[in-house]
Amino acid sequence: MPDPTSPSPTSRFMDFWRVFRRNRMGLAGLVMLVVIVFVAVFADAIAPYDVQSSIDVTTSDIYNPPSAQHWLGTDDAGKDVFSNFIFGARVSLTVGFFAAFISIFIGGVIGIVAGFFGGRIENIFMRFTDIMLVIPDLPLMIVIMALTKKPSLINVIFVIGLLGWTTTARIVRSQTLAVKSRKFVLRARAIGAGKGHIIRRHILPLVMPILVVNAVLVVSLAILNESTLSFLGLGDPTALSWGQMLNYAFGRGAMSTGAWWALVTPGFGIVWVVLGLTLFGHGLEQVLNPRLETHHLMRPLPIVKNDATGQPLLHSTGERVALLKPILLRADSLSISYINDGTRPARAVENVSFTLREGELLGLVGESGCGKTTLMLGLLRLLPAAGQIVNGEVWFGDKELTALTEEEMEDVRWKGISIIFQGAMNALNPVRTVGDQIAEAIVKHDATMKGDALTARVIELLDLVGIAADHKEHYPHQYSGGMRQRAMIAMALACNPKVVIADEPTTALDVMIQAQVLELLDSLRKKLGLSIIFVTHDLGVVAEMCDSVLVMYGGVTAEYSDVDTIYNNPRHPYTQELLKAFPDLSHPEKRLTSIPGYPPKLDELPAGCRFAPRCPLVFERCRVEEPKVISVGERHMASCHLLEEDE
Amino acid sequence: MKRWRYLLGKIGWAFFTILFVLVLNFFLFRVLPGDPARAGVHDPRLKKEAVEAIRVRYGLDKPVINCFESLNPIKVGSCGVNPLETQFFIYIGNLLKGELGISYHSNRPVADVLLERLWNTVILIGAGQILAVIVGVIFGVFAAWKARTNVDYGALIISLIAWSLPTFWLGIILLFWGSNNGLPIGGMQTPGMSSQPFFVRFGDVLSHMLLPTLTYTIVYMGEYMLIMRSSLLDVLSEDYILTAKAKGLNTFQILKDHALKNAMLPLVTVIAINLGFTMAGAVQIESVFSWPGLGGAIYEAVNRRDFPVLQGAFLLIAVGVIVANLLADLTYSYLDPRVQTE
Amino acid sequence: MRKIFALVMILAFALAACGQAGGGGGTVRIGWGGSPDTLNPGAAILTEAYTIFELVYDSMYELNLDGSYTLSLAETVNRSSDGLTYTYKLREGVKFHDGKTLTAADVAFTYNFYKAHEDFPYLNAYTGYLESVEATDDYTVVVTLNEAIPNIESQLVFMYVLPEHIWAQHAEGAAATEFENVEMIGSGPFKMTEYKPNEFVHLTANKDHFARPPKVAEVFFQTYESQDVLVQALKSGDVDMITEMPATAVEALKSDPNIKVVTGAPFAPGVSDIIFNQVSPENCPTDAGGICTGHPALRDRNVRLALAHATNKQKLIDVVLLGYGTPGLTLIPDGLGMWFNSTIKDYSYDVAEANKILDEAGYKDADGDGIRDMPDGSRPLTFRMQWPSDSIDAPRQAELLAEMWMEVGVKAELAAMDPDALTAACCPAFDFDIILWGWGSDPDPNLLLGVHTTAEIPNGYNETGYSNPEYDALYDQQATELDLQKRIALVHQMQQIVFDDVVYIIPYYEQAIQAYRVDRFTGWLTDYPKVELSDVSSLVVIEAVK
Repeated sequence: MPDPTSPSPTSRFMDFWRVFRRNRMGLAGLVMLVVIVFVAVFADAIAPYDVQSSIDVTTSDIYNPPSAQHWLGTDDAGKDVFSNFIFGARVSLTVGFFAAFISIFIGGVIGIVAGFFGGRIENIFMRFTDIMLVIPDLPLMIVIMALTKKPSLINVIFVIGLLGWTTTARIVRSQTLAVKSRKFVLRARAIGAGKGHIIRRHILPLVMPILVVNAVLVVSLAILNESTLSFLGLGDPTALSWGQMLNYAFGRGAMSTGAWWALVTPGFGIVWVVLGLTLFGHGLEQVLNPRLETHHLMRPLPIVKNDATGQPLLHSTGERVALLKPILLRADSLSISYINDGTRPARAVENVSFTLREGELLGLVGESGCGKTTLMLGLLRLLPAAGQIVNGEVWFGDKELTALTEEEMEDVRWKGISIIFQGAMNALNPVRTVGDQIAEAIVKHDATMKGDALTARVIELLDLVGIAADHKEHYPHQYSGGMRQRAMIAMALACNPKVVIADEPTTALDVMIQAQVLELLDSLRKKLGLSIIFVTHDLGVVAEMCDSVLVMYGGVTAEYSDVDTIYNNPRHPYTQELLKAFPDLSHPEKRLTSIPGYPPKLDELPAGCRFAPRCPLVFERCRVEEPKVISVGERHMASCHLLEEDE
Repeated sequence: MKRWRYLLGKIGWAFFTILFVLVLNFFLFRVLPGDPARAGVHDPRLKKEAVEAIRVRYGLDKPVINCFESLNPIKVGSCGVNPLETQFFIYIGNLLKGELGISYHSNRPVADVLLERLWNTVILIGAGQILAVIVGVIFGVFAAWKARTNVDYGALIISLIAWSLPTFWLGIILLFWGSNNGLPIGGMQTPGMSSQPFFVRFGDVLSHMLLPTLTYTIVYMGEYMLIMRSSLLDVLSEDYILTAKAKGLNTFQILKDHALKNAMLPLVTVIAINLGFTMAGAVQIESVFSWPGLGGAIYEAVNRRDFPVLQGAFLLIAVGVIVANLLADLTYSYLDPRVQTE
Repeated sequence: MRKIFALVMILAFALAACGQAGGGGGTVRIGWGGSPDTLNPGAAILTEAYTIFELVYDSMYELNLDGSYTLSLAETVNRSSDGLTYTYKLREGVKFHDGKTLTAADVAFTYNFYKAHEDFPYLNAYTGYLESVEATDDYTVVVTLNEAIPNIESQLVFMYVLPEHIWAQHAEGAAATEFENVEMIGSGPFKMTEYKPNEFVHLTANKDHFARPPKVAEVFFQTYESQDVLVQALKSGDVDMITEMPATAVEALKSDPNIKVVTGAPFAPGVSDIIFNQVSPENCPTDAGGICTGHPALRDRNVRLALAHATNKQKLIDVVLLGYGTPGLTLIPDGLGMWFNSTIKDYSYDVAEANKILDEAGYKDADGDGIRDMPDGSRPLTFRMQWPSDSIDAPRQAELLAEMWMEVGVKAELAAMDPDALTAACCPAFDFDIILWGWGSDPDPNLLLGVHTTAEIPNGYNETGYSNPEYDALYDQQATELDLQKRIALVHQMQQIVFDDVVYIIPYYEQAIQAYRVDRFTGWLTDYPKVELSDVSSLVVIEAVK
């Protein structure tokens, strides 16, 4: 029974090709391989001379330098090196491919069987593989080559093939293990499908891509091994591979004769094929097993200021914070896009403005993928490499952050604005102690802190979040989830920042711990008078703690106001829908509804309002025109055509 | 406690592997063609009596194991032989006494032959590996740090080319180049230096090491570069790097304090596993540069059917690789605190 | 990174330069391709070991580069009339390197020592004719033979005289072979200073040598793994002389004004041969492990003769050796001087003649596939042609032979074989058709003449299975013919017989190619019939260029 979800092989290949085509290194490798395979296949037509015959050779024909007759000179038997090279491609590739086939077959079978059946079989197979890894491969090959008595090409292929399977077996096994526990395999097992059937229909197709990438490596190793065996005089002297050419050249005085062409040509062939294979393999791997290959230290994209499309910013602040308090942080029409080669830029944040006053707790609300985290990282200019601030300003005190140099920015980070990341497990370095990581932040911004004072400060910070002092010597993995999050909070407070960004600090925790952490945050805020931006999708937390709320949808401001207004008088349909999905304690009998559909993909935004496809109140204009953020009341902003019509 | 059990398990497995190699070793060399007593000699001066006497001297007149007179060609013998009188148990017995047998070729104890050459190889491989790791790590760090820039592509292509070079061929090319530039091209010292002061001899060995070490470094750095690059890419995209950056650390501080140690972890394992494979490089480099090391000894021993030396060398290398892996596991568990409690 | 590397280079150079200042003057550096397997003369197999023995030890006779023998340790020798007793009067005052005097007792001990150890691979073989050896006084040695032989010199020339005071404690059992002899106390022109297996041998001059005190101060033999590297080392001046080099490089080296290339018959002559399996299943030495699968056509002299006519020896010499060889006749090489029968007229390279012989003998191409078939049509003339895989020249030779023989409708299937596997297939198993191999010769022809005898078939040294009672009788006769001229005549006659019977085709006798730097040492013995620059006679006369 064909799997209905899997597309046809041809279309799968076309998909693959579309991606692969863009991989320059992979493509270069493929071209190199195609060229050499072509040469090998049509050797008879390409080679200017028949390399079989040396009957007409005289002493003066031996080791002739390159000339018009012999483009790459002649070898130790007066034969044309260029023709030898072309026919050598045939032999070397044959050995490489057949030996690799044997290796991959054995390695694949051992890997799949070990991975699939597990238990004792796996134990025996993998231990055997380990032992094979312990014995030096080339010396073993040399010995077994002697064992075969005749260094014929077939024997060379078998010896290389039979000894080259270990890495394949290991890789295939681990992939099989990973695949085995996937749902559809479990399901197939549950309905009693035969083991052979499962392996053939379900395991093999998923192991195949890795096997193919591995095969490329095995082929190149086989070709290198053949050349080495030949060079050591253990190859088949009657089959003129590139390695054999080198054996003759080195054994019969090419170097001392000065016949560099006899040495360089076959070596070039080997390098060409092996390099072609590795480039191709590298490309294949990138396509079949894509990695972003981006990281946090890549040079950020330059900040640009496009024509401002934003509206005048109206400061909105909850009543809980006195309007008199000074503004600490102000984002003004901030827009951030993700720029990826070949695709449209993803407008992750657009025209978002907000202010944060001293002591204010701003809640940033929205579903996942609405640009909340991007906005926060954008404030600190910590965007991933593809992220670019394309418009807007960020004022922190009297500094415009988007105009600072990277060095100046480093001073702002943590000391001015610190951030508590979600999932503290990954946000803490696993191989350094927690105390050490906290101290590091302190020292970075205050070089005078050292010794006992530093230790005392670390202990003080840990104490602040309720972690005993002796835990500072522990590693993150020795902490529980809640402890890690609290340690993260302690770290965020290390430099007495003015603003703390808490990016979903409780997401990964269980409910009890969540409550503890929130309580801690709230108490610290009161104790230390912190200004906090609290990123969450938990409206309950927002209602309880925040002064003001910024609701984001699809990268834009949906609604922005103080917390009471948002809860009591939500104007944007998205806010309204969100609140419907939130259990109202005062009306527990009300049915919870969740919003159907998903937020838009940021690189495939709808033409008009980004919420239009899901909006219960959608009308014609929504689908063609993007609504602007408008003031819909005192300290209350929203972006919706409905509200404009109201005016 | 867990840590000890972990270690004991590793040691036990290492011990088992060595045992297996012991047995495999023995039989492998008993099925090879040819009569070791003649050690490749084909000469009428070598009388039948001499061959017989040599066989007796090396104990080859005894049955290989019970029921088998010889394994190549297979000759069935009597099964009631005292096991202690078979070659296999004599071999095991000698090993327990720390004896690896006597070389057929030079009549010297195999342990002596191997030990004097082991050091030469350790020096060569050691220097080569260290340089390859250093260069590979530096290249890898730059490539990963500057990922998807020309620096990255440049380092990647250099590494892939270096990886694609056949070791012996690179050796030959470098040898040719070196001999035209006044570098010593053979052996590991200028003969007759033993009376010279230490630093002179040291310099002499150093100059002899240049070309083989360079060959070794080029061939192996590519792999380390690729591993380092991919490992560092993984690490640099981890959240804790973002944390470090958010803390205001600069790029250099982040690389030094947060990325490198973590990224080096996989390298430790790979270096140890590689040790077995590096012998392949040693065989080639030593035969090109006439380096009197273990690789050359293996190659010569194959050609001369010097089975005791081969057996000894295989055992030595296997033990070396096993110990290296054990050390790697230990190092790993010290470097990575997560392993300790697992 | 570059900087660091450059720094290391400079450092290494500077230090190495300091080191080289120490040598100089009378230090000869010789590059060679091997290394002695052991310094123990009893156990040694490799020629490199014997090269060192020649320099460090003395023996009763000295073999000269012209192939003649002169007395060395003995001043006079007296042969009894029955030819069974030789009385040697030793030189007085000959000292071992440790200062002890070499006496007749040492000689008698040495000879008896070699005779007592059957497991000595080579030297024991030379003691076969020795009945007894006695030291009748301090300087008189009486050697009694069990049979009168013409070539006592060649029996005693390699029996290096060992000091009894050192070897007596290692004389018994396995200790005799396992004694490493690192001190290597001898009495020869050079003293052993240091031996590093597979690295170098360091000898210093024994200026007190009774006959040939060397002019140079010390000699190094340095091991290089390949001939190509040897040439580079000579070119760069790392060594002053090399004992071997690839023929292809001769022309290139000749253009170097500082280097002189010397070619000629090697001191230890070598023979390259094409072995035909001529054993029929009826005569198979099954007791010795014979399988005898040889192609029947090769038992027919006509086929072998036709192949001889179809073989262009000069072409083989040109392509394989670049001309540095002489066309061969029989297993007795031209390097053996008077023993070589130069009157034999070689079969002409004549494809037509070869075709004619095969046609007349009934080997027609019955099925028209271009390959001749047996007269009864049972099988084509397709022969397995094998060679030891450690030879780099053999496959080139095989390619050419296959092409040449194809001209006369004979096909060769080429395959290299592991040398030991080939030995096992060769003889006395006779599980082959044609093998390309070779022999190294003793200075005396007896050894290689013995290869054709029926007696050697079960021993495996008769590789062809050739058996000729007339030849066997002549062999026994020459072995005991005391008159030199008569023995020469017998030896020549034997060569003619095996040549006529086309037992082997001998493509060529390879020449030795050695080279030295003219700017370092002068006086190398180069104008002798044989070339061996590392021979003791050469090394004791060379001196540093002023």
